[in-house]
Amino acid sequence: MKVLKITPEKCTGCLRCELACSYMQTGQYQPAKSVIRVSPFEGHTSYAPYTCTQCAEGWCMTACPVGAITINVAGAKDVRDDVCVGCKLCTIACPYGTAFYDPDTRKAFKCNLCGGDPACASACPTAAITYEDTATVDWIGDFAAHRAGRLLETV
Amino acid sequence: MTTATVRTSANVPKAAKGAAAQPAQPGFAGKLLRVDLTKKRCWAEAWSPAEMQELLGGIGLGAMILYRETKTKSGKGNVSWDHPDNRLILATGPLAGLPVWGTGGLTVVTIGAGTNGPTSTQANGFFGTNLKYCGYDAIVIQGQSKDWVYLYINDDTLELRDARDLAGKDTWETQDTLSGKLGLTGHQLSVYSIGPAGENLCRFAAIQGDYGHVASKNGVGAVMGRKKLKAVAIVKGTKPLAVADPRGLMQAADDIAHALKTDPGSKSLYEYGTLPGVVNLSKLGVLPIKNYTTNVPPADITEWAAPKLREGFDHRGHQCNACGMHHCHMSIIRSGPNKGQTIDEPEYEGWSGAGWTIGATRPDQIADVAWLNTQLDRACLDVNEFGWICGWVMECQEKGYITEQQLGFKLAWGDIKGAHRLMEMISHRKGFGNILAEGVKRAAEKIGGPAKDCAIYFEKGAAPRGHDHRGRWEEMLDVATASTGTMETGNPTFPTEVGQPARINPYDGEQVAHYVAGLRGRKNFEDSLGVCIFTVRCTLELICRALNAATGWNWTWADAVRFGRRTAAINRVVALRGGYTPAIEKPSKRYSSTPVDGPAKGQSIAAQWDKMIDVWYNDVGYDRKTGKPLPETLRGLGLDWLVPEVWGKKA
Amino acid sequence: MAARHLIIGGGTAGINAIRTIREEERERSEITLVSAERPYSRMVLPYFLDRSIAESHVYTATPRILAEWGVKSHVGRRATSLDPKGNVVTLDDGTKLEYDDCMIATGSSAVRAPVAGADGANVHSFWTLDEAKGVIAGIAPGSHVVMVGAGFISFTILNSILSLGAKLTIVEIAPRILPRMVDGPGAELVEKWLEKHGVTIRTGATVSAIEDVKGKPGTPARKRIKFARGAKGGDIIADVVIMATGIKTNLDWLKDSGLRIDRGIVVDSHLRSNAPNVYAAGDVAQGPDLIAGGTSIHAIEPTAQEHGRVVGANMAGKDVQYRGSVIINIVEVCHLDVASFGAWDDTTAEVISASRPDRPAYRKMLFRGDRMTGAIILGPSSDIWTTNDVGMLKGLVQTGQPLGQFKERLRQQPFDVKTAFIAAKTTARLLPETVVGRPSKAPGDTPVAV
Repeated sequence: MKVLKITPEKCTGCLRCELACSYMQTGQYQPAKSVIRVSPFEGHTSYAPYTCTQCAEGWCMTACPVGAITINVAGAKDVRDDVCVGCKLCTIACPYGTAFYDPDTRKAFKCNLCGGDPACASACPTAAITYEDTATVDWIGDFAAHRAGRLLETV
Repeated sequence: MTTATVRTSANVPKAAKGAAAQPAQPGFAGKLLRVDLTKKRCWAEAWSPAEMQELLGGIGLGAMILYRETKTKSGKGNVSWDHPDNRLILATGPLAGLPVWGTGGLTVVTIGAGTNGPTSTQANGFFGTNLKYCGYDAIVIQGQSKDWVYLYINDDTLELRDARDLAGKDTWETQDTLSGKLGLTGHQLSVYSIGPAGENLCRFAAIQGDYGHVASKNGVGAVMGRKKLKAVAIVKGTKPLAVADPRGLMQAADDIAHALKTDPGSKSLYEYGTLPGVVNLSKLGVLPIKNYTTNVPPADITEWAAPKLREGFDHRGHQCNACGMHHCHMSIIRSGPNKGQTIDEPEYEGWSGAGWTIGATRPDQIADVAWLNTQLDRACLDVNEFGWICGWVMECQEKGYITEQQLGFKLAWGDIKGAHRLMEMISHRKGFGNILAEGVKRAAEKIGGPAKDCAIYFEKGAAPRGHDHRGRWEEMLDVATASTGTMETGNPTFPTEVGQPARINPYDGEQVAHYVAGLRGRKNFEDSLGVCIFTVRCTLELICRALNAATGWNWTWADAVRFGRRTAAINRVVALRGGYTPAIEKPSKRYSSTPVDGPAKGQSIAAQWDKMIDVWYNDVGYDRKTGKPLPETLRGLGLDWLVPEVWGKKA
Repeated sequence: MAARHLIIGGGTAGINAIRTIREEERERSEITLVSAERPYSRMVLPYFLDRSIAESHVYTATPRILAEWGVKSHVGRRATSLDPKGNVVTLDDGTKLEYDDCMIATGSSAVRAPVAGADGANVHSFWTLDEAKGVIAGIAPGSHVVMVGAGFISFTILNSILSLGAKLTIVEIAPRILPRMVDGPGAELVEKWLEKHGVTIRTGATVSAIEDVKGKPGTPARKRIKFARGAKGGDIIADVVIMATGIKTNLDWLKDSGLRIDRGIVVDSHLRSNAPNVYAAGDVAQGPDLIAGGTSIHAIEPTAQEHGRVVGANMAGKDVQYRGSVIINIVEVCHLDVASFGAWDDTTAEVISASRPDRPAYRKMLFRGDRMTGAIILGPSSDIWTTNDVGMLKGLVQTGQPLGQFKERLRQQPFDVKTAFIAAKTTARLLPETVVGRPSKAPGDTPVAV
């Protein structure tokens, strides 16, 4: 399966992925609703994007009481808008923090790999996000540990 | 169960929801945020699609607000920079917050403390992104607070909050404190603030934001300090921004990006930002060394080549909104007394102002120069004018024009620690620093005598950017004639697109003057869009494509140029109202002196100056004697309504 | 002969068990379902109540789906006794069902506080679909609805009642709201938020009686709610009263079964009772508790779902150990998310907490050493960063990932969970984790009978 590979060392925190993502997810530029989220790991610097891993368990999918989350053609867990009632159970079932709720639509939403052509990867100007046929791993754990750890050590 | 809404084909966005609630004009948030610090009030003000098309944003919008709102009550002249009725306009533009590279910044427009006239100065970061997604295109601040406050913006929550606990903090500490207090990390919060220099009304205080982005020209930080506004803190808004053609915009953005990556004129900027300037400009005699006392760099300047400057630090990319340049970086100092400290990688102008100008030219000083540059950002002093002040004091002390006793300590060329001490004195107005805080022109005039002749400034009260303009005449002429106290025309970018030659003889005053006049317009247009100048180093046609995709308009390069010239004319009228005359359009003696060595040796701009001014006035259609834009010039720009005010009812 | 699986209870646990059996089994088995009601999702009743979804949307396994799955169903029937030795269950119509293995998932029922008049007209519970229909019929725009009980159940329907244009008063016997979901400071913030949104709250108030108000003949009877002495404020007149005063597990029918019952049916790590071929799941199962150790009843939807899947896999012949359940709860009130996880009420744990009343936002994180054991989080439901942290807190509690030095980061900035979560490599820990030992299948991918 093709997955979003994150190379955190290349991320500069420009948040262009969030703009592209929000456009694909909502039809408008509205980064507050991006499902890929860029955050800093070393004070105000060392940014990396974070999004759904499309994990094997699919905690969101199994938690959904109405079967509104399914697996789409790209292999991503995807919310069916016409089935989702907006109960938010997926948002607390997902232990990665990547299942969201939109109060405007009253539906859950999450990364669905844009159906196989993820906008974040196309938008990333530094190739920190790429879409590759590889196994999902914890792409940014070591990076975050190193960068965040540096500041904690100097305190 | 149906699977109709599951995405079965790739790359198809969901349909936008709630489209009816969108503002009428795509590309804009649709409102201006008004703040009255005296009355402690914040309110939203709608502006019309027609005004948006007329003024765009940035300096276009700001110039018009200054024109309308900074006239004194008596109707004669402008309010001065420190008057409560002065406006401080922090404006984005139609491309801000969108996926075009480098679209997070702001243009600051106000009556500046340097020239006491209109000014426009830019900084990048995430201001524009956070503000526009809160629903505002610009912030217009008036009045003066009694105590320190900061402006808090979070969508529709607009508050002036107590900032007494922030007073005295530098700009980075201010942002750290607000982030901690509000519980927001990274770009969730954008903060533009002043440090001690702004609080103490230094005439060249800047506004600094998002760790390393500085709106530095013409004392805008002093204006903010006089208003007792410590910071503007903007939570990233949650509103949508409608654009006319989202896909077209992404496509135009990608085309601009391609141009930046591949065009020889911008490729090195794409790779290294402004770092290559140090070595490249030294070859042209444009790198300012030791307060213009020489123009010959040492042989080991190769250690200042861009890759070395970057690799010398443990660096991390730190770009502005949607930007793919390898420009801004955060650097961690690897060794020495400041080991482990995080600094903002200096721009070319940091290396020159905090380094070369003050005689710190040894490769082993690179980390110290970078450190000093960040300290200046944190204190909120313009690194350029600091360089001219510090270099001047160093030279004057060497020559005995300013004594050790007067200054309080010995300050020799290249002494970074001493320069930092000077920075502290200036930003707190301590001792001799109180004189220096008035800026290079006023300090030089105060000291007088031979010391004055060593100082680098413009008669109008502004200071140049960090070059030796005795080898770059366009910029000296540009700033001298600019109503804003800083560049109005800017450096040539695709000059042939606007009918100008690709190259000129840089030491032919007439050619230079035609060139500066002929290139006018583009910069004001760029500075009205909410973009970084470095990410629009492409043709105007391409920029217009992005603008049109965002707004649904149909602008051409000619519209863009006309818009920029119209904005310049409005700025000129505001400046004239404040007493501006062509008599002050002059560089200081040292600034316009003839280089004694180096690549520009023997080239005298002073000898050609008057001719250059004549040509420029003739070309731009302004009156040489009064400085006024001629009636036909105003009419040609669609500013017929300004003619009676400028020329009287008979004209 | 094909294995005979008997599922008693058509709620979340039951339907998940059936699906999982079909997904896991090597040979086609016989599945029988006994369900007192048509299978539906209790979680979505609030959305049925506010009329944003149709009744048809509430059902999880329609007769057609059950037929596709090859399930013999006894809908509308209750089991009345279990004979684990004879492997027989008797239904209320006298039917006897033999099984090879059986799962008990009979869930809970609402109970009303013992108050005079609590069973009168226009006094409702909100638990089953039928009860929901009763509430809907009673509410009109402008109605005054009084909810007795300020717990999770009331809060799940609070938005729905407001969106119907009703006026709402919440009455709670305890000194504060949500006593079993958030702590004091969190409850205070929610209380203020609700008052700001026009909800009247009366805490520390014991209802003594609910009486009819005499009105004109032919008009619906209004209710007068009287309070015990000492409660502040006078009587309340209501159009509709909802008693959300608690639930109890449906275990009475098992009295004579010989199953070991403590607070619920005590089950082992395979969710088996003391009768090895009798499993229990959901609200009736006292199963492994991931945080506290030992066994607990966690009467929440996600536990029922996981129980059901683990039992289903085991019934299908897999050997799946359940790692234990974690309490997770979320409720949204007027666009404020309120969530809690794990041992959020552990008074002996180390605590990091922070509040930003102006946003509003509140966090409380509880630790044993460098592992998070519980958490409370409140924040605007529109704020994705809050939701981001909601999930990450669940992840940290669920995994008990050692945070090491990054616990300090949470102390420095309690509103930034992600740095600690990611730097502690919680993602790496979570990625291989699954409930039934393999990647989950999408809802539509369950094999169907041919």
